[in-house]
Amino acid sequence: MCLVMVACTPAKPVIDEQMMRIDGEMPADFSGSWERDYSRGDDVNQVLRDIYYYLSRTSADRAYTTRPGPVRPSSRDMQSISALARLAELITRPQVLTISQNDQEITVDRKDDFSLLCAFYDGIAKGTESDYGTEICGWDGAQLVSHLILPDGLQVTHRFTVSADQQQLRVVTTVASNTARVPVTLIRFYRKFERLPPDFNCIETLSMKRVCSTGEIGL
Amino acid sequence: MTFGARLLLLAVMSGSLLQYPATGHARDVTALNVSIAVFDPGVPENRSLHRDLQIFPRIREVEAKFLPFVLRETLVESGEWGAVRVVTEPDDAAEVAISGSIVHSDDGPPADSGETGSPYQALYDAIAKALLEARQQFDDRALGRITEISLLRYAAELSPSAFGQYLAEDEQGRYVLRRLPARSDPMLDRVERIRLTEYVITDTVDAKFRELHGEIASTYALWREYRRKSVEYDRQNAERAQESGSAAPRGSYEAIKTRYDNYKWDRVTAQERDRLAIAFNNEVGPVVEAMEARIAELETWVDEKYAEWHRLLEELFDVETELNRASS
Repeated sequence: MCLVMVACTPAKPVIDEQMMRIDGEMPADFSGSWERDYSRGDDVNQVLRDIYYYLSRTSADRAYTTRPGPVRPSSRDMQSISALARLAELITRPQVLTISQNDQEITVDRKDDFSLLCAFYDGIAKGTESDYGTEICGWDGAQLVSHLILPDGLQVTHRFTVSADQQQLRVVTTVASNTARVPVTLIRFYRKFERLPPDFNCIETLSMKRVCSTGEIGL
Repeated sequence: MTFGARLLLLAVMSGSLLQYPATGHARDVTALNVSIAVFDPGVPENRSLHRDLQIFPRIREVEAKFLPFVLRETLVESGEWGAVRVVTEPDDAAEVAISGSIVHSDDGPPADSGETGSPYQALYDAIAKALLEARQQFDDRALGRITEISLLRYAAELSPSAFGQYLAEDEQGRYVLRRLPARSDPMLDRVERIRLTEYVITDTVDAKFRELHGEIASTYALWREYRRKSVEYDRQNAERAQESGSAAPRGSYEAIKTRYDNYKWDRVTAQERDRLAIAFNNEVGPVVEAMEARIAELETWVDEKYAEWHRLLEELFDVETELNRASS
């Protein structure tokens, strides 16, 4: 369903100016530790099968065949989509997300990947721009949207939604590219968990690295 | 790292050389006392720019306190100046006042750091040279005026009733000496004694900056080392991105993963830099806070005493003026 909608809706920015503004507090609180709920969420192979099915019914190649019914998507199409699916699967692999949030910033720490950062200054989201890509974020209602734009039209979008009881997190990750006819979307679910209170108080320092103490740390 | 420094020499006006009543002997007029104010950290108010400009505000605050001491040491070692002090606020009545702003701060050149341990020793040497050249433009008589005007500016701030009429400010903001107080003026003697007392506190504050430098110099050197590594990682990231740019067919997994990884490693490097900045703050924060607390105590004491001295001098001036009027 999502694929159909994405494919048929006229192109509009994933994050518009309105979404990049907040008036007062952040619309939702994502802070905490989140563990992947493997009982829910998309299976990447099933997502690929769905796309195959979708393409076989909407392929432009159908116009050139007299055979009724579905047309096998081109191998080039499927190779591009498989590539996106592999990347989406890689990006959504982390078992744990650690999200810290204050009035200005939300940081999503992911193992083996960079942390997603969404910072607001005076109520306006500030993107991150470098030679390698641009990362912007915003709010779509209570959904936090992070959008990464990379060269060659490669785009990665994460939509974070927290349940009303604040115990479940849904992350919808979409990977799109100019080279693929449709994007690939994977949905992952996470459950909140409480980390055990540490036996030691630790801080990072430059000269002594990690310094821990059972009491107050005095350097 | 580079920083700009503005040197301000008090204007030189005509008049005769003052003796120093409190010390009882004339001093070497070329050995002017120097006050170096804590630098302006140069942090833009717009916080959204900090990440883009790689500005770490708390580290800049530390640098603003840490770096003036290196300049102080350079000037002291030159042997060309009187007392050289690092002060928390610009000293309007200083004989030589130095202020500086941090314009840019990075890992700095891997140059010889000399005895001070500063990689910017060449810059401090250049400032010291420029300062000396500026002083050498004045003869002894003119330098004597600087010490006189400096003392009278201090005196006028402390007791405007007694000393306000000796100085005037011209259109360019320079102080003009209208006349000098009598050498035997007991008010001037009192002011000089108060100034010496204040210098004792200023020297204690200055010693705190010395302690700060001693305590955090090695951590600051580590921070610079890590920043240098970070710059190296940036260079390696750029090289990798360049090399892997067009090898894989467009749209292939290898091609899009390369695009993603290029961005990822750039962000990981930047986030590691942020993490190290926090580690630096964790380590030096308590030292800086303790120093700031002690300096605040000293300054509170000076402010309270200053208010008391101000009141007493104004009262004494009134009493002595009345007595002089009565006796004449």
